[in-house]
Amino acid sequence: MKLIFHQPSRGLRLLWLFLLVSTVGTAQLSITGMVTDAESEDPLIGASIVVTGTTTGTVTDFDGNFELNVPASATSITVSYTGYGTQEIPLVEGQTAYNIQLASGELLQEVVVVGYGAVRKEDLTGAVTVLSEEDFNKGVITSPEQLIQGRAAGVQVTQTSGEPGAGVNFRIRGTSSVRSNNNPLFVVDGVPLSGENTSADGAIGGLGNTSARNPLNFLNPGDIESINVLKDASATAIYGSRGANGVVIITTKSGAGGQGTLTYETNIGVAGISRRYDILGREAFLDAYEDFNGASARATLDGGADVDWQDELFRTAFTQSHNLSFGGGSEGGSYRFSASYLDQEGIVEQSALQRISARFNGTKSFIDDRLGLATQVTVSDIHDDNVPITTNAGFEGDLLGNILKANPTQPIYNPDGTFNQVSQTEPNPLALLNLYEGYTNTLRLLGNVSAEFAFTDALSFKSVYGIDRSFSSRTDAQSRDQRIQGVENIGRLSLNDLQVNNDLWENYFTLNTGLGGAIDFQGLLGYSYQRFERIGKGSGYANFRTSDLDIMINNVSSADQVNGTGTFGNSFRTLDELQSYFGRINFDIADKYLVTATLRADGSTRFGSGNRYGLFPSFAFKWRLLEEAFAPEAFSDLGLRIGYGVTGNQEIPHNQYQRRQRYGNYGYNAGTTTIDGGGLGTVAFANPDLKWESTSQINAGIDWGFNNNKISGSIDYYYKSTNDLLIQVTSAQPAVQPFVWQNLDADVINEGVELAINYIAADGPNFTWDVIFNVGYNNNIVKNFGGLINTGEISGQGLTGAFAQRIAEGQPLYAFFLRDFGGFDSEGNSVYPDGDFQQFTGQSPLPKWTGGLTNQFGFGNFDVNLFFTGQFGFYIYNNTANAFYTAGALANGRNVSTDVVGNGEGNLNAPDVSTRFVEKGDFVRLQNASIGYTLPINEGVLSNLRLSVTGQNLFVITGYSGQDPEVSISKPINGVPSVGIDYTAYPRARTVTFGLSASF
Amino acid sequence: MTSQLLKWGLIAPSACVLLGFSACTDLEIEEVDSIIVEDDGSGQSAGDPEQLVNGVYNGLSTFTDQANTYSLFEHPSDELIPPTRGVDWGDNGVWRTLHAHTWDATHAQVLNAWNTLNSRIFNTAEILAANPNAEQEAQGRFLQGFFMWHVLDLYGVVPFREFEQGVDELPRVISRSDAIDIAIDQVEASIANLPSAGPGENFQGTKAAAYSMLTRMYLNKAVYKAADPAGPYDHNAADLQQVIDYADMVTAEGYSFDEDYFGIFEAGSDKEPILVSEQGTPQNRWMMTLHYSQNPSGWNGFTTLADFYNSFDPNDPRIGKDATPDGTASSGIGTGFLQGQQVTDNGEVLIDGRTQQPLVFTEEVGLAGVPTNAGVRVIKYHPARAGKYIILRYAESQLNKAEAQLRLGDAAGALETINLMRSTRGTPELSSIDLDGMLMERGFELYWEGLRRVDQIRFGTFTDTWDEKTVTDPTRVLFPIPQQALDSNPNLQQNPGY
Repeated sequence: MKLIFHQPSRGLRLLWLFLLVSTVGTAQLSITGMVTDAESEDPLIGASIVVTGTTTGTVTDFDGNFELNVPASATSITVSYTGYGTQEIPLVEGQTAYNIQLASGELLQEVVVVGYGAVRKEDLTGAVTVLSEEDFNKGVITSPEQLIQGRAAGVQVTQTSGEPGAGVNFRIRGTSSVRSNNNPLFVVDGVPLSGENTSADGAIGGLGNTSARNPLNFLNPGDIESINVLKDASATAIYGSRGANGVVIITTKSGAGGQGTLTYETNIGVAGISRRYDILGREAFLDAYEDFNGASARATLDGGADVDWQDELFRTAFTQSHNLSFGGGSEGGSYRFSASYLDQEGIVEQSALQRISARFNGTKSFIDDRLGLATQVTVSDIHDDNVPITTNAGFEGDLLGNILKANPTQPIYNPDGTFNQVSQTEPNPLALLNLYEGYTNTLRLLGNVSAEFAFTDALSFKSVYGIDRSFSSRTDAQSRDQRIQGVENIGRLSLNDLQVNNDLWENYFTLNTGLGGAIDFQGLLGYSYQRFERIGKGSGYANFRTSDLDIMINNVSSADQVNGTGTFGNSFRTLDELQSYFGRINFDIADKYLVTATLRADGSTRFGSGNRYGLFPSFAFKWRLLEEAFAPEAFSDLGLRIGYGVTGNQEIPHNQYQRRQRYGNYGYNAGTTTIDGGGLGTVAFANPDLKWESTSQINAGIDWGFNNNKISGSIDYYYKSTNDLLIQVTSAQPAVQPFVWQNLDADVINEGVELAINYIAADGPNFTWDVIFNVGYNNNIVKNFGGLINTGEISGQGLTGAFAQRIAEGQPLYAFFLRDFGGFDSEGNSVYPDGDFQQFTGQSPLPKWTGGLTNQFGFGNFDVNLFFTGQFGFYIYNNTANAFYTAGALANGRNVSTDVVGNGEGNLNAPDVSTRFVEKGDFVRLQNASIGYTLPINEGVLSNLRLSVTGQNLFVITGYSGQDPEVSISKPINGVPSVGIDYTAYPRARTVTFGLSASF
Repeated sequence: MTSQLLKWGLIAPSACVLLGFSACTDLEIEEVDSIIVEDDGSGQSAGDPEQLVNGVYNGLSTFTDQANTYSLFEHPSDELIPPTRGVDWGDNGVWRTLHAHTWDATHAQVLNAWNTLNSRIFNTAEILAANPNAEQEAQGRFLQGFFMWHVLDLYGVVPFREFEQGVDELPRVISRSDAIDIAIDQVEASIANLPSAGPGENFQGTKAAAYSMLTRMYLNKAVYKAADPAGPYDHNAADLQQVIDYADMVTAEGYSFDEDYFGIFEAGSDKEPILVSEQGTPQNRWMMTLHYSQNPSGWNGFTTLADFYNSFDPNDPRIGKDATPDGTASSGIGTGFLQGQQVTDNGEVLIDGRTQQPLVFTEEVGLAGVPTNAGVRVIKYHPARAGKYIILRYAESQLNKAEAQLRLGDAAGALETINLMRSTRGTPELSSIDLDGMLMERGFELYWEGLRRVDQIRFGTFTDTWDEKTVTDPTRVLFPIPQQALDSNPNLQQNPGY
């Protein structure tokens, strides 16, 4: 959270006004002065000085000096400079020389970027969390969301696993939709991104589906200046149909400073697994196996070796990143160029992510600053090295499952040097990894060009054209030497390409004017067009004549394509459009009453012709009580906000309203002996009534500060109701598809409170201490829902068709639905006191409480930052334990966790889905701890040099027995997603990073 | 002033552009990767009828799955048990409840089979609405009758959606009694334009397929017409005569009993397959029963029950043949019932990789907490030699004929029909036959082919008890309408007892 220590300035609004008010004056007075950078005391060239409230002004010369004739009636001048805070300097009678110091970055503290514009922070009528660079998490950061994980009240950011580049679940004020994408709308430099995945999906033969990648990996976190989270509907309604899950506005860095700066930053990170799996070693494993099967069986099972599969597969991972940027700015424009390189190793052998990115931001103004041109372009090339860790492996297990269950007495290699692969059901983890080659290459370009023209000082027009291009190609190859059903002796290769072409064209007018008296008006009227194109193709190959993975991938004719089962493929191409009209009006009445109203009409091709357009209004009011005479003296800030708005959601698959037919995908049968499928089938019903899902939200908040804002903060209450739920429901059979998208007449309610507090505990010259705290409470419930939907697929041996969650009336979304486990009977079989059936257990995977606590200390040139984050009041289903940590698995010769030994379970017990495997997920994590030292530099080419050490995930306090409580593996059933299930998640790392930053 | 010029020079065009955008897109998009099926009101535009027919026949592969349709027809019977073996085959209780007759309306496979079978019925409505030629129309009718039979048999009602009906319209519900009439009408109406073909890899409907299906439909018609689905059943003589007539028409199409019983399920020319699934393989039939340590490494699942196994005459060749291990893949696996010590492909004693003990399949088997080696396994499709998965075969039609003869009082005729089959198989002939014997004979011949539940209901033994099955609730003769189907279509009413 941003601390704002100074008193609010009126400069900006006066700036808006000053050209509208004509001044009459005859007497003139000449003043002179110099404008300098407050910190470096360098002169600022081209800074603007105007007589406040007039058009009379000048700019500083090459040495920062200015001379200006001011009317006698003038009482102040306003000084501004790009990238610096605007200051209003009162004119003192008799004084003609003014030396003015501008502080850089102050402007950013004051102005908050919201949709299609920016407002002063104290004028915000909606619930917005503003985070800038010093609030960001440090260390090895792959994607922008990780920068703000835990930092904003009511915002839950969960990495789905510890894999480099893993997907992120980003929830603002709870979960409100029952579809695969509940993430907010991300707007990067004014360009809203598509909510859909941009990296090609894959499946690994015999092992299951792979996790989705984080679509924001393409942004270099080092290029990001601020991230604003728009939480309530009054703030997000300007984004209409795409605002229901909140909006995250990412602003990238722009150049500043007349001299220009060159900055080089590097980080070297060292990571290891944060918590090893507590599984049996050789002797303990054999002893426990012998207890079930006898001594002779022990002798047969014993492969004679002593292998620690965790040592074999986990590693100390090194990460390096380099960022080079240079930029500069003057009154007429700015530029910034950056290049970055990231090479992140995963803690599982062979997993890695490499990214090269380049970015250019530039602005330039022409025609007396009336025309402003700007562009922001980023290009990134990402290479993911994948490992065969999947989300839904069956009884054979994926790589992680086999690290856990592999027999520790089996040698890794045969005497002849080949992998020792005992059977198809008990794969050798190293063979799984080394006889597999998988990677994803993604090239993404995001850019925009904008032109803003001020017709008058009150009225301007802006046009933005943005493009987002992504080319992603995924390869998964398995050698025929791999002993996996459907792979052994034939080999498998799948190639998947995905191309995403999104375009945006937006045009809007902005009007800023006084309406007489103390009323200011700001108006916005615009049009937006977005186009989303997705093109993909995928193919599968088998019957390879070689075991060489490189040849398989790069010479696919090595697959015998003559004999019928060598190859198959399919392709798709879909196009969607979104057309929008939007408007916003702001009234500022005497700086006391601020009113915002917005309206957006969106038309989407996702819906049939009768229901294409949705209307999304909002209204908000802020009363700045501090300006009232009755405001108690103790307050240094006091404002009351109330808002209401309606936002929408259109994130359903392409064209579900027309009856359409496609030739279905081909696929191998389980034994890879035949290729099935390919029939012409109907993929969508005529469903013309499909329409927007809408979310209405009421928000009430208080912004407050005491003692000159030594302690300040805000508290918000919200009530969010999602209606006309777009959901896949069971088709009334007979039907073309088992499920059909419908607007359900059900409501998902999210209600909660958020509190953010900033406390300046010490503010001395040699010691500073800031405490920043946030906490959010959210309660989720489904109402008016007559049906029931199962989700949360549970995978593993003997768990086919099992599920753990059900969506039903009166329950939170994704509520756990389980057998009630009552221990083991004398035979060691599970006892279910309520009966052998599933029921609601009152446990929810959605956290009730989320919070973060930051302590920032400054001791001279040293700074220390400790950041704790936590989530509370939620449960996790430990599918990993359910699938692997059972007496039956042990008796079958699979390794298990140490707590299975002697737990009373019999070897013939069926570990059905039950409360036995549900655990409290509550945790507190030391997410980030850093120490930095900024070298005192007086002269020379260096302007700044900083060294830092950062620890990430140094410890977690939790009762959860799994590897990490912050986990959510995608376990959907029939497209209905799940939350809070842990299944062979890529383990999480503990990372220490050494950083160096130098500016010239 | 320049500002004035700029003002009017730029505001006006900009405003026009802005307002003009209202026509920027009409939000009509062109589909380039799928075929839009426009309903022009005539109901005759469902797409390419040939491809639609192929699509439904491709979908016959659903019968090769060990779950859903197959399991609903097989698991509640007395010839198959799905034991939960420690951590294996718990699968949320879906198997145990099917065997123990304790399933409920939320059972996943009850839902899946409902969705699959009914969507196939809708596919057949699409064929009939797609301007089919005479043979395509015949295929559509045959398939509609075929799938309606499955739905009415399992669930007691058939929901029906006309092709023109949109997603917002609720399908009407056809009673079991009406549905069997419609199903029979559709199959009979298909005969004239179906091709005539003898035994072999018939991937699509033939006259013989229609005749064979009609023997099944007429034989069970009394069950579907009964006031109480659990009986008693009043067999109509005219219907039974239809069974006999249609069974003879199958024979007239060139089918006959095969001397090599297990050869029927192998690749190569056979005398019995009437309809087979082109897609899918019989793989799941062996994977679902073979032990992990066998080759191929199976899923160590389903077995038969000791009583059923012991009801066989040991001299009946249909009980199986021992393995002939010769080092080739899967040669360590026999056919029919696998009991006792198992061997490797080289003839060595096979060791259970889990317990490290010799793998001996025992007759005794329970439903839960079962050791990995318990239960006699069943191999009709041999992993090394299997042909296409058989949907309809000749013997069933002739068993239907024999039963109809018996029910019509022609015990001699029935015996003759049965003994023709037995003698061809090399099984000792019977000297007499009654209804009990007829049910047993159907078991000996058709075991694990997905008809046992239907037979036991018709013979009234479905509500008896057997190993690990103590429930005798007569309402179990029908599966429940899945809960999610009830939620989606208020026209449906739950079956009694659920």
